[in-house]
Amino acid sequence: MLTIARHELTQILRNRAVLVSGLVIPFAVSASLVWRHETFENIGSLGYLASTIVLTIAAFSLYSTVVTTLASRRQNLFLKRLRSTAARDHEILWGLVLPATAIAGVQLLGILAVLAAVAGSPDNSLLFAAGTLATIAMMLGLGLATAGLTHSPEHAQVTTLPISLGTIAVGVWVGITGTENLATVKRLLPGGAATELMTDAWNGGASVVDSLVLLAPTLAWVFLALFLAQRLFQWEPRR
Amino acid sequence: MSTSPVIDVADLNLTYGGFHAVKDVSFQVQRGELYALLGTNGAGKTSTLEIIEGHRRPSSGAARVFGHDPRKRSAVRPKVGIMLQESGFSPDLTVKESVALIGALTLREDRVERVLGIVDLNRKAATLVSQLSGGEKRRLDFATAAWGSPELVFLDEPTTGLDISSRDDLWTAVDKLREDGSTVVLTTHYLEEAQQRADRVGLMHRGTMHREGTVAELTRQLPGVIRFTLPPTAPHPPVKGSRRDDGTYVIETFTLARDLKELLQWAEGHHIDLQGLSAGPTRLDDVFRALDTDD
Repeated sequence: MLTIARHELTQILRNRAVLVSGLVIPFAVSASLVWRHETFENIGSLGYLASTIVLTIAAFSLYSTVVTTLASRRQNLFLKRLRSTAARDHEILWGLVLPATAIAGVQLLGILAVLAAVAGSPDNSLLFAAGTLATIAMMLGLGLATAGLTHSPEHAQVTTLPISLGTIAVGVWVGITGTENLATVKRLLPGGAATELMTDAWNGGASVVDSLVLLAPTLAWVFLALFLAQRLFQWEPRR
Repeated sequence: MSTSPVIDVADLNLTYGGFHAVKDVSFQVQRGELYALLGTNGAGKTSTLEIIEGHRRPSSGAARVFGHDPRKRSAVRPKVGIMLQESGFSPDLTVKESVALIGALTLREDRVERVLGIVDLNRKAATLVSQLSGGEKRRLDFATAAWGSPELVFLDEPTTGLDISSRDDLWTAVDKLREDGSTVVLTTHYLEEAQQRADRVGLMHRGTMHREGTVAELTRQLPGVIRFTLPPTAPHPPVKGSRRDDGTYVIETFTLARDLKELLQWAEGHHIDLQGLSAGPTRLDDVFRALDTDD
Protein backbone atom coordinates (compact mmCIF):
# COMPACT_ATOMS: atom_id res chain seq x y z
CA MET A 1 0.00 0.00 0.00
CA LEU A 2 2.75 2.44 0.93
CA THR A 3 4.59 1.70 -2.34
CA ILE A 4 1.48 2.63 -4.30
CA ALA A 5 0.92 5.70 -2.09
CA ARG A 6 4.49 6.92 -2.60
CA HIS A 7 4.18 6.70 -6.37
CA GLU A 8 0.71 8.26 -6.26
CA LEU A 9 2.11 11.23 -4.35
CA THR A 10 4.78 11.61 -7.04
CA GLN A 11 2.07 11.68 -9.69
CA ILE A 12 0.01 14.28 -7.82
CA LEU A 13 3.02 16.53 -7.36
CA ARG A 14 3.89 16.27 -11.07
CA ASN A 15 0.36 17.03 -12.28
CA ARG A 16 -0.15 20.80 -12.27
CA ALA A 17 -3.92 20.65 -12.80
CA VAL A 18 -4.45 18.41 -9.77
CA LEU A 19 -1.93 20.41 -7.77
CA VAL A 20 -3.76 23.68 -8.42
CA SER A 21 -7.36 22.46 -8.08
CA GLY A 22 -6.70 20.06 -5.21
CA LEU A 23 -4.12 21.94 -3.19
CA VAL A 24 -3.57 25.56 -4.09
CA ILE A 25 -7.19 26.69 -4.52
CA PRO A 26 -8.61 25.08 -1.33
CA PHE A 27 -5.62 26.34 0.62
CA ALA A 28 -6.03 29.87 -0.77
CA VAL A 29 -9.78 29.89 -0.06
CA SER A 30 -9.23 28.64 3.49
CA ALA A 31 -6.44 31.13 4.08
CA SER A 32 -8.70 33.97 2.94
CA LEU A 33 -11.40 32.73 5.34
CA VAL A 34 -8.91 32.85 8.20
CA TRP A 35 -7.82 36.32 7.11
CA ARG A 36 -11.47 37.47 7.29
CA HIS A 37 -12.26 35.60 10.50
CA GLU A 38 -13.87 38.62 12.18
CA THR A 39 -16.42 38.93 9.38
CA PHE A 40 -17.34 35.26 9.79
CA GLU A 41 -17.63 35.67 13.53
CA ASN A 42 -20.18 38.42 12.93
CA ILE A 43 -22.19 36.30 10.49
CA GLY A 44 -22.13 33.11 12.53
CA SER A 45 -19.35 32.19 14.91
CA LEU A 46 -15.71 31.18 14.94
CA GLY A 47 -16.85 27.55 15.10
CA TYR A 48 -18.85 28.11 11.92
CA LEU A 49 -15.70 29.44 10.23
CA ALA A 50 -13.68 26.43 11.41
CA SER A 51 -16.28 23.93 10.15
CA THR A 52 -16.50 25.77 6.81
CA ILE A 53 -12.72 25.40 6.44
CA VAL A 54 -12.98 21.67 7.17
CA LEU A 55 -15.78 21.20 4.64
CA THR A 56 -13.96 23.26 1.98
CA ILE A 57 -10.76 21.25 2.29
CA ALA A 58 -12.68 17.95 2.52
CA ALA A 59 -14.79 18.80 -0.53
CA PHE A 60 -12.05 20.05 -2.83
CA SER A 61 -8.65 18.85 -1.58
CA LEU A 62 -9.97 15.40 -0.72
CA TYR A 63 -13.27 14.49 -2.39
CA SER A 64 -12.69 16.08 -5.81
CA THR A 65 -9.08 14.93 -5.95
CA VAL A 66 -10.03 11.36 -5.05
CA VAL A 67 -12.74 11.22 -7.72
CA THR A 68 -10.49 12.78 -10.37
CA THR A 69 -7.56 10.53 -9.46
CA LEU A 70 -9.53 7.29 -9.51
CA ALA A 71 -11.32 8.18 -12.77
CA SER A 72 -8.00 9.05 -14.38
CA ARG A 73 -6.24 5.91 -13.16
CA ARG A 74 -9.13 3.78 -14.41
CA GLN A 75 -9.30 5.53 -17.77
CA ASN A 76 -5.62 4.96 -18.55
CA LEU A 77 -5.88 1.35 -17.27
CA PHE A 78 -3.48 2.02 -14.40
CA LEU A 79 -5.97 0.35 -12.04
CA LYS A 80 -5.98 -2.76 -14.23
CA ARG A 81 -2.21 -2.66 -14.29
CA LEU A 82 -2.08 -2.55 -10.47
CA ARG A 83 -4.59 -5.41 -10.34
CA SER A 84 -2.22 -7.44 -12.53
CA THR A 85 0.12 -7.65 -9.56
CA ALA A 86 -0.19 -9.39 -6.20
CA ALA A 87 -1.63 -6.25 -4.56
CA ARG A 88 -5.13 -6.70 -3.15
CA ASP A 89 -7.99 -4.38 -4.05
CA HIS A 90 -8.16 -2.61 -0.71
CA GLU A 91 -4.39 -2.09 -0.74
CA ILE A 92 -4.63 -0.52 -4.20
CA LEU A 93 -7.49 1.78 -3.20
CA TRP A 94 -5.89 2.84 0.08
CA GLY A 95 -2.59 3.41 -1.68
CA LEU A 96 -4.27 5.65 -4.25
CA VAL A 97 -6.34 7.74 -1.81
CA LEU A 98 -3.80 7.96 1.00
CA PRO A 99 -1.74 10.84 -0.48
CA ALA A 100 -4.81 13.03 -1.09
CA THR A 101 -6.06 12.22 2.41
CA ALA A 102 -2.70 13.00 3.98
CA ILE A 103 -2.39 16.26 2.03
CA ALA A 104 -5.89 17.31 3.13
CA GLY A 105 -5.03 16.42 6.72
CA VAL A 106 -1.82 18.46 6.67
CA GLN A 107 -3.64 21.40 5.08
CA LEU A 108 -6.33 21.27 7.77
CA LEU A 109 -3.81 21.05 10.58
CA GLY A 110 -1.89 24.03 9.25
CA ILE A 111 -4.88 26.27 8.55
CA LEU A 112 -6.72 25.44 11.78
CA ALA A 113 -3.54 25.97 13.80
CA VAL A 114 -3.23 29.45 12.27
CA LEU A 115 -6.93 30.12 12.97
CA ALA A 116 -6.48 29.03 16.59
CA ALA A 117 -3.41 31.21 16.93
CA VAL A 118 -5.03 34.36 15.54
CA ALA A 119 -8.61 33.95 16.81
CA GLY A 120 -8.58 31.55 19.73
CA SER A 121 -8.44 27.79 20.29
CA PRO A 122 -11.39 25.38 20.14
CA ASP A 123 -13.24 24.77 23.40
CA ASN A 124 -13.05 20.97 22.96
CA SER A 125 -10.25 19.96 20.60
CA LEU A 126 -10.97 16.23 20.81
CA LEU A 127 -14.60 16.65 19.82
CA PHE A 128 -13.61 18.97 17.00
CA ALA A 129 -11.06 16.39 15.83
CA ALA A 130 -13.75 13.66 15.96
CA GLY A 131 -16.05 15.79 13.80
CA THR A 132 -13.22 16.49 11.36
CA LEU A 133 -12.25 12.81 11.06
CA ALA A 134 -15.88 11.80 10.52
CA THR A 135 -16.19 14.44 7.80
CA ILE A 136 -13.02 13.20 6.11
CA ALA A 137 -14.26 9.60 6.25
CA MET A 138 -17.62 10.65 4.79
CA MET A 139 -16.05 12.58 1.91
CA LEU A 140 -13.62 9.73 1.23
CA GLY A 141 -16.51 7.24 1.03
CA LEU A 142 -18.52 9.59 -1.18
CA GLY A 143 -15.43 10.02 -3.36
CA LEU A 144 -15.16 6.26 -3.92
CA ALA A 145 -18.87 6.07 -4.74
CA THR A 146 -18.78 9.06 -7.09
CA ALA A 147 -15.69 7.64 -8.85
CA GLY A 148 -17.88 4.69 -9.85
CA LEU A 149 -20.11 7.07 -11.80
CA THR A 150 -17.27 9.09 -13.31
CA HIS A 151 -15.80 8.04 -16.65
CA SER A 152 -12.88 10.45 -16.93
CA PRO A 153 -11.08 13.30 -15.15
CA GLU A 154 -13.04 15.74 -17.34
CA HIS A 155 -16.31 14.08 -16.32
CA ALA A 156 -15.25 14.48 -12.67
CA GLN A 157 -15.59 18.25 -13.05
CA VAL A 158 -19.33 17.64 -13.43
CA THR A 159 -19.97 14.62 -11.21
CA THR A 160 -18.25 16.13 -8.16
CA LEU A 161 -20.22 19.38 -8.18
CA PRO A 162 -23.46 18.19 -6.50
CA ILE A 163 -21.73 16.72 -3.45
CA SER A 164 -18.87 19.20 -3.09
CA LEU A 165 -21.03 22.30 -3.45
CA GLY A 166 -24.02 20.66 -1.73
CA THR A 167 -22.01 19.73 1.36
CA ILE A 168 -20.53 23.20 1.67
CA ALA A 169 -23.99 24.73 1.15
CA VAL A 170 -25.42 22.54 3.94
CA GLY A 171 -22.52 23.60 6.17
CA VAL A 172 -23.17 27.29 5.49
CA TRP A 173 -26.90 26.83 6.08
CA VAL A 174 -26.40 25.03 9.41
CA GLY A 175 -23.55 27.34 10.45
CA ILE A 176 -25.53 30.54 9.88
CA THR A 177 -29.07 29.50 10.87
CA GLY A 178 -28.27 26.91 13.57
CA THR A 179 -30.48 23.91 14.22
CA GLU A 180 -33.33 25.43 16.16
CA ASN A 181 -35.53 25.00 13.08
CA LEU A 182 -35.63 21.97 10.79
CA ALA A 183 -33.07 20.27 13.04
CA THR A 184 -33.75 16.74 11.76
CA VAL A 185 -33.49 17.72 8.09
CA LYS A 186 -30.32 19.70 8.66
CA ARG A 187 -28.67 16.93 10.65
CA LEU A 188 -29.55 14.22 8.13
CA LEU A 189 -28.10 16.09 5.16
CA PRO A 190 -24.43 15.27 4.41
CA GLY A 191 -22.25 17.64 6.38
CA GLY A 192 -25.12 19.04 8.48
CA ALA A 193 -24.55 17.11 11.72
CA ALA A 194 -20.77 17.36 11.28
CA THR A 195 -21.01 21.15 10.96
CA GLU A 196 -23.15 21.39 14.11
CA LEU A 197 -20.73 19.12 15.98
CA MET A 198 -17.61 21.02 14.91
CA THR A 199 -19.23 24.42 15.48
CA ASP A 200 -20.30 23.44 19.01
CA ALA A 201 -16.93 21.87 19.77
CA TRP A 202 -15.08 25.03 18.73
CA ASN A 203 -17.49 27.52 20.36
CA GLY A 204 -18.27 25.43 23.47
CA GLY A 205 -21.54 25.27 25.34
CA ALA A 206 -22.92 21.92 24.15
CA SER A 207 -22.65 18.76 26.25
CA VAL A 208 -20.20 16.08 25.14
CA VAL A 209 -22.94 13.43 25.02
CA ASP A 210 -25.18 15.58 22.80
CA SER A 211 -22.22 16.28 20.53
CA LEU A 212 -21.25 12.63 20.25
CA VAL A 213 -24.80 11.77 19.18
CA LEU A 214 -24.21 14.14 16.26
CA LEU A 215 -21.51 11.78 14.97
CA ALA A 216 -24.14 9.17 14.15
CA PRO A 217 -25.60 10.79 10.98
CA THR A 218 -22.12 11.42 9.58
CA LEU A 219 -21.05 7.83 10.27
CA ALA A 220 -24.29 6.66 8.63
CA TRP A 221 -23.24 8.62 5.54
CA VAL A 222 -19.87 6.87 5.68
CA PHE A 223 -21.53 3.44 5.65
CA LEU A 224 -23.99 4.45 2.93
CA ALA A 225 -21.16 5.84 0.81
CA LEU A 226 -19.06 2.69 1.23
CA PHE A 227 -22.08 0.54 0.38
CA LEU A 228 -22.65 2.57 -2.79
CA ALA A 229 -18.94 2.45 -3.61
CA GLN A 230 -18.97 -1.34 -3.40
CA ARG A 231 -21.86 -1.42 -5.83
CA LEU A 232 -20.75 1.32 -8.21
CA PHE A 233 -16.97 1.22 -8.31
CA GLN A 234 -15.49 -0.05 -11.57
CA TRP A 235 -11.87 -1.14 -12.00
CA GLU A 236 -11.86 -0.92 -15.76
CA PRO A 237 -13.48 1.46 -18.26
CA ARG A 238 -16.91 0.38 -19.40
CA ARG A 239 -16.80 -1.43 -22.77
CA MET B 1 8.89 -31.09 -10.37
CA SER B 2 5.09 -31.14 -10.40
CA THR B 3 3.45 -32.67 -13.48
CA SER B 4 0.07 -31.05 -12.88
CA PRO B 5 -0.88 -28.45 -15.48
CA VAL B 6 0.04 -24.84 -14.84
CA ILE B 7 -3.32 -23.77 -16.26
CA ASP B 8 -6.42 -25.94 -16.17
CA VAL B 9 -9.56 -24.56 -17.80
CA ALA B 10 -12.74 -26.63 -17.65
CA ASP B 11 -16.11 -25.92 -19.26
CA LEU B 12 -15.59 -22.19 -19.08
CA ASN B 13 -18.50 -19.93 -19.96
CA LEU B 14 -18.84 -16.17 -19.93
CA THR B 15 -22.03 -14.32 -20.66
CA TYR B 16 -22.57 -10.60 -20.44
CA GLY B 17 -25.44 -8.44 -21.59
CA GLY B 18 -27.11 -11.45 -23.23
CA PHE B 19 -23.97 -12.16 -25.27
CA HIS B 20 -22.35 -15.57 -24.85
CA ALA B 21 -18.69 -14.60 -25.26
CA VAL B 22 -17.09 -17.88 -24.13
CA LYS B 23 -18.83 -21.23 -24.62
CA ASP B 24 -17.73 -24.41 -22.81
CA VAL B 25 -14.02 -23.80 -23.35
CA SER B 26 -11.62 -26.38 -21.87
CA PHE B 27 -7.87 -26.69 -22.23
CA GLN B 28 -4.69 -27.16 -20.24
CA VAL B 29 -1.26 -25.61 -20.40
CA GLN B 30 1.65 -27.74 -19.21
CA ARG B 31 4.74 -26.51 -17.41
CA GLY B 32 7.38 -25.07 -19.77
CA GLU B 33 5.03 -24.87 -22.77
CA LEU B 34 4.46 -21.90 -25.03
CA TYR B 35 0.72 -22.06 -25.62
CA ALA B 36 -0.73 -19.73 -28.24
CA LEU B 37 -4.37 -18.80 -27.78
CA LEU B 38 -5.45 -17.58 -31.18
CA GLY B 39 -8.70 -16.54 -32.72
CA THR B 40 -10.50 -14.23 -35.08
CA ASN B 41 -11.69 -10.87 -33.78
CA GLY B 42 -14.48 -11.41 -31.24
CA ALA B 43 -13.58 -15.10 -30.90
CA GLY B 44 -13.53 -14.84 -27.10
CA LYS B 45 -9.80 -15.21 -26.56
CA THR B 46 -9.40 -11.92 -24.67
CA SER B 47 -12.33 -12.80 -22.40
CA THR B 48 -10.85 -16.25 -21.81
CA LEU B 49 -7.44 -14.76 -21.12
CA GLU B 50 -8.89 -12.21 -18.69
CA ILE B 51 -10.56 -15.00 -16.73
CA ILE B 52 -7.31 -16.97 -16.55
CA GLU B 53 -5.42 -13.84 -15.53
CA GLY B 54 -7.95 -13.30 -12.74
CA HIS B 55 -9.42 -10.08 -14.10
CA ARG B 56 -12.87 -11.56 -14.71
CA ARG B 57 -15.20 -13.99 -13.02
CA PRO B 58 -16.57 -16.73 -15.32
CA SER B 59 -20.34 -17.22 -15.58
CA SER B 60 -19.76 -20.95 -15.11
CA GLY B 61 -16.96 -23.46 -15.29
CA ALA B 62 -13.56 -23.05 -13.71
CA ALA B 63 -10.06 -21.83 -14.43
CA ARG B 64 -7.21 -22.92 -12.15
CA VAL B 65 -3.72 -21.47 -12.26
CA PHE B 66 -1.11 -23.38 -10.26
CA GLY B 67 -4.10 -25.14 -8.72
CA HIS B 68 -5.65 -21.89 -7.44
CA ASP B 69 -8.55 -19.71 -8.46
CA PRO B 70 -6.69 -17.00 -10.43
CA ARG B 71 -8.66 -14.29 -8.63
CA LYS B 72 -6.76 -15.19 -5.44
CA ARG B 73 -4.03 -12.76 -6.35
CA SER B 74 -1.85 -13.20 -3.30
CA ALA B 75 -1.57 -16.96 -4.08
CA VAL B 76 -1.14 -16.77 -7.85
CA ARG B 77 0.43 -13.47 -8.85
CA PRO B 78 3.85 -13.88 -7.23
CA LYS B 79 4.39 -16.61 -9.86
CA VAL B 80 2.80 -14.74 -12.76
CA GLY B 81 3.93 -11.92 -15.06
CA ILE B 82 1.29 -10.23 -17.20
CA MET B 83 1.90 -8.19 -20.32
CA LEU B 84 -1.42 -6.47 -20.97
CA GLN B 85 -2.74 -5.70 -24.43
CA GLU B 86 -2.97 -2.02 -23.57
CA SER B 87 -0.28 -0.19 -21.72
CA GLY B 88 -1.88 0.99 -18.43
CA PHE B 89 1.10 2.94 -17.17
CA SER B 90 0.82 6.31 -15.51
CA PRO B 91 2.01 9.05 -17.87
CA ASP B 92 3.38 11.03 -14.91
CA LEU B 93 5.82 8.34 -13.75
CA THR B 94 9.21 7.65 -15.29
CA VAL B 95 10.14 4.34 -16.87
CA LYS B 96 12.28 3.45 -13.87
CA GLU B 97 9.53 4.38 -11.38
CA SER B 98 6.92 2.39 -13.33
CA VAL B 99 9.03 -0.76 -13.37
CA ALA B 100 9.99 -0.35 -9.72
CA LEU B 101 6.34 0.10 -8.69
CA ILE B 102 4.92 -2.85 -10.62
CA GLY B 103 7.95 -4.99 -9.79
CA ALA B 104 7.61 -4.35 -6.07
CA LEU B 105 3.92 -5.27 -6.20
CA THR B 106 4.63 -8.65 -7.83
CA LEU B 107 6.46 -9.67 -4.62
CA ARG B 108 9.32 -11.10 -6.73
CA GLU B 109 12.93 -9.98 -6.40
CA ASP B 110 14.73 -8.32 -9.29
CA ARG B 111 16.60 -5.17 -10.32
CA VAL B 112 15.22 -2.35 -12.46
CA GLU B 113 18.47 -2.16 -14.47
CA ARG B 114 18.30 -5.86 -15.34
CA VAL B 115 14.74 -5.89 -16.66
CA LEU B 116 15.16 -2.60 -18.52
CA GLY B 117 18.32 -4.08 -20.02
CA ILE B 118 16.29 -7.00 -21.42
CA VAL B 119 14.28 -4.58 -23.55
CA ASP B 120 17.04 -2.03 -24.12
CA LEU B 121 15.28 0.73 -22.18
CA ASN B 122 17.99 1.60 -19.64
CA ARG B 123 18.81 4.81 -21.51
CA LYS B 124 15.13 5.82 -21.12
CA ALA B 125 15.00 5.07 -17.40
CA ALA B 126 14.49 8.72 -16.43
CA THR B 127 11.98 9.45 -19.21
CA LEU B 128 8.32 9.99 -18.37
CA VAL B 129 6.05 7.27 -19.77
CA SER B 130 4.05 9.97 -21.57
CA GLN B 131 7.13 10.66 -23.71
CA LEU B 132 7.64 7.06 -24.86
CA SER B 133 6.67 5.82 -28.32
CA GLY B 134 4.09 3.06 -28.69
CA GLY B 135 6.79 0.47 -29.26
CA GLU B 136 8.75 1.61 -26.22
CA LYS B 137 5.61 1.27 -24.09
CA ARG B 138 5.21 -2.33 -25.29
CA ARG B 139 8.81 -3.02 -24.31
CA LEU B 140 8.23 -1.43 -20.91
CA ASP B 141 5.20 -3.66 -20.54
CA PHE B 142 7.29 -6.72 -21.28
CA ALA B 143 9.91 -5.57 -18.78
CA THR B 144 7.31 -5.50 -15.99
CA ALA B 145 6.01 -8.94 -17.03
CA ALA B 146 9.55 -10.35 -16.97
CA TRP B 147 10.32 -8.89 -13.52
CA GLY B 148 11.74 -11.66 -11.33
CA SER B 149 11.52 -14.30 -14.11
CA PRO B 150 8.00 -15.52 -13.25
CA GLU B 151 6.98 -19.15 -13.63
CA LEU B 152 4.09 -18.18 -15.90
CA VAL B 153 4.01 -15.24 -18.32
CA PHE B 154 0.97 -13.95 -20.20
CA LEU B 155 1.88 -12.11 -23.40
CA ASP B 156 -1.14 -10.36 -24.89
CA GLU B 157 -0.25 -9.11 -28.37
CA PRO B 158 3.37 -8.60 -27.30
CA THR B 159 4.84 -7.44 -30.59
CA THR B 160 2.08 -5.13 -31.81
CA GLY B 161 3.67 -1.79 -32.68
CA LEU B 162 7.24 -3.09 -32.56
CA ASP B 163 9.66 -2.79 -35.47
CA ILE B 164 11.33 -5.98 -36.72
CA SER B 165 14.49 -5.47 -34.72
CA SER B 166 12.57 -4.87 -31.47
CA ARG B 167 10.39 -7.88 -32.26
CA ASP B 168 13.44 -10.11 -32.63
CA ASP B 169 14.89 -8.74 -29.39
CA LEU B 170 11.65 -9.40 -27.56
CA TRP B 171 11.47 -12.99 -28.82
CA THR B 172 15.06 -13.49 -27.74
CA ALA B 173 14.01 -12.33 -24.28
CA VAL B 174 11.02 -14.70 -24.34
CA ASP B 175 13.34 -17.56 -25.32
CA LYS B 176 15.55 -16.66 -22.36
CA LEU B 177 12.54 -16.74 -20.02
CA ARG B 178 11.64 -20.18 -21.37
CA GLU B 179 15.18 -21.42 -20.88
CA ASP B 180 14.80 -20.37 -17.27
CA GLY B 181 11.68 -22.52 -17.04
CA SER B 182 8.85 -20.06 -17.61
CA THR B 183 5.58 -21.21 -19.12
CA VAL B 184 4.22 -18.74 -21.69
CA VAL B 185 0.66 -18.06 -22.81
CA LEU B 186 0.60 -15.98 -25.96
CA THR B 187 -2.08 -14.22 -27.95
CA THR B 188 -1.08 -12.57 -31.20
CA HIS B 189 -2.40 -11.51 -34.56
CA TYR B 190 0.98 -12.29 -36.12
CA LEU B 191 0.27 -15.92 -36.96
CA GLU B 192 3.79 -16.59 -38.22
CA GLU B 193 5.03 -15.90 -34.67
CA ALA B 194 2.68 -18.49 -33.25
CA GLN B 195 3.60 -20.89 -36.06
CA GLN B 196 7.30 -20.56 -35.28
CA ARG B 197 7.16 -20.41 -31.49
CA ALA B 198 4.14 -22.22 -30.11
CA ASP B 199 4.36 -25.73 -28.74
CA ARG B 200 0.59 -25.93 -28.94
CA VAL B 201 -2.13 -23.73 -30.32
CA GLY B 202 -5.69 -23.23 -29.12
CA LEU B 203 -7.79 -21.84 -31.94
CA MET B 204 -10.93 -20.05 -30.76
CA HIS B 205 -13.82 -19.16 -33.02
CA ARG B 206 -17.14 -17.60 -32.03
CA GLY B 207 -16.60 -18.27 -28.35
CA THR B 208 -15.65 -21.94 -28.65
CA MET B 209 -12.32 -23.78 -28.68
CA HIS B 210 -12.56 -24.69 -32.33
CA ARG B 211 -9.33 -26.66 -32.63
CA GLU B 212 -6.38 -27.41 -30.42
CA GLY B 213 -3.03 -29.08 -30.96
CA THR B 214 0.48 -28.56 -32.25
CA VAL B 215 0.93 -26.46 -35.38
CA ALA B 216 1.66 -29.67 -37.30
CA GLU B 217 -1.55 -31.25 -36.04
CA LEU B 218 -3.63 -28.24 -37.01
CA THR B 219 -2.12 -27.73 -40.44
CA ARG B 220 -2.14 -31.45 -41.26
CA GLN B 221 -5.89 -31.21 -41.70
CA LEU B 222 -5.54 -28.90 -44.70
CA PRO B 223 -3.61 -29.54 -47.95
CA GLY B 224 -0.31 -27.90 -48.91
CA VAL B 225 -0.26 -25.77 -52.05
CA ILE B 226 1.97 -25.75 -55.18
CA ARG B 227 1.63 -22.80 -57.57
CA PHE B 228 3.29 -22.22 -60.95
CA THR B 229 2.58 -20.90 -64.42
CA LEU B 230 3.03 -22.87 -67.65
CA PRO B 231 3.46 -21.63 -71.22
CA PRO B 232 0.23 -22.04 -73.24
CA THR B 233 1.78 -24.72 -75.43
CA ALA B 234 2.98 -26.88 -72.54
CA PRO B 235 1.35 -30.27 -71.90
CA HIS B 236 -0.70 -30.89 -68.79
CA PRO B 237 1.39 -31.53 -65.68
CA PRO B 238 1.33 -35.01 -64.15
CA VAL B 239 -0.13 -33.90 -60.83
CA LYS B 240 -3.83 -33.15 -60.64
CA GLY B 241 -4.61 -29.50 -60.11
CA SER B 242 -6.68 -26.66 -61.41
CA ARG B 243 -5.69 -24.09 -64.01
CA ARG B 244 -6.85 -20.52 -63.60
CA ASP B 245 -7.63 -18.08 -66.42
CA ASP B 246 -4.26 -16.36 -66.01
CA GLY B 247 -2.48 -19.65 -66.67
CA THR B 248 -1.53 -20.32 -63.06
CA TYR B 249 -1.76 -23.89 -61.88
CA VAL B 250 -2.80 -24.43 -58.26
CA ILE B 251 -2.28 -27.90 -56.83
CA GLU B 252 -3.64 -28.67 -53.37
CA THR B 253 -2.09 -31.79 -51.94
CA PHE B 254 -1.64 -33.73 -48.73
CA THR B 255 1.54 -35.30 -50.19
CA LEU B 256 3.42 -32.12 -50.92
CA ALA B 257 6.98 -33.48 -51.07
CA ARG B 258 6.12 -36.42 -53.34
CA ASP B 259 4.03 -34.32 -55.72
CA LEU B 260 6.60 -31.55 -55.89
CA LYS B 261 9.36 -34.05 -56.69
CA GLU B 262 7.24 -35.61 -59.44
CA LEU B 263 6.42 -32.20 -60.87
CA LEU B 264 10.07 -31.09 -60.97
CA GLN B 265 11.15 -34.32 -62.65
CA TRP B 266 8.39 -33.89 -65.23
CA ALA B 267 9.39 -30.30 -65.95
CA GLU B 268 13.04 -31.25 -66.32
CA GLY B 269 12.17 -34.16 -68.62
CA HIS B 270 10.05 -31.90 -70.84
CA HIS B 271 12.44 -28.93 -70.63
CA ILE B 272 9.63 -26.79 -69.23
CA ASP B 273 10.19 -23.75 -67.07
CA LEU B 274 7.80 -23.69 -64.11
CA GLN B 275 7.45 -19.94 -63.87
CA GLY B 276 6.77 -18.39 -60.46
CA LEU B 277 6.99 -21.76 -58.76
CA SER B 278 6.07 -21.71 -55.08
CA ALA B 279 5.32 -24.58 -52.81
CA GLY B 280 4.55 -24.64 -49.12
CA PRO B 281 2.89 -26.58 -46.39
CA THR B 282 -0.36 -25.31 -44.95
CA ARG B 283 0.17 -22.38 -42.62
CA LEU B 284 -1.86 -21.22 -39.67
CA ASP B 285 -3.16 -18.46 -41.93
CA ASP B 286 -4.81 -21.13 -44.08
CA VAL B 287 -6.29 -22.80 -40.99
CA PHE B 288 -7.71 -19.41 -40.03
CA ARG B 289 -9.17 -18.84 -43.46
CA ALA B 290 -10.78 -22.26 -43.32
CA LEU B 291 -12.61 -21.34 -40.12
CA ASP B 292 -15.45 -19.56 -41.88
CA THR B 293 -15.94 -22.39 -44.34
CA ASP B 294 -16.17 -24.82 -41.41
CA ASP B 295 -19.30 -23.06 -40.08
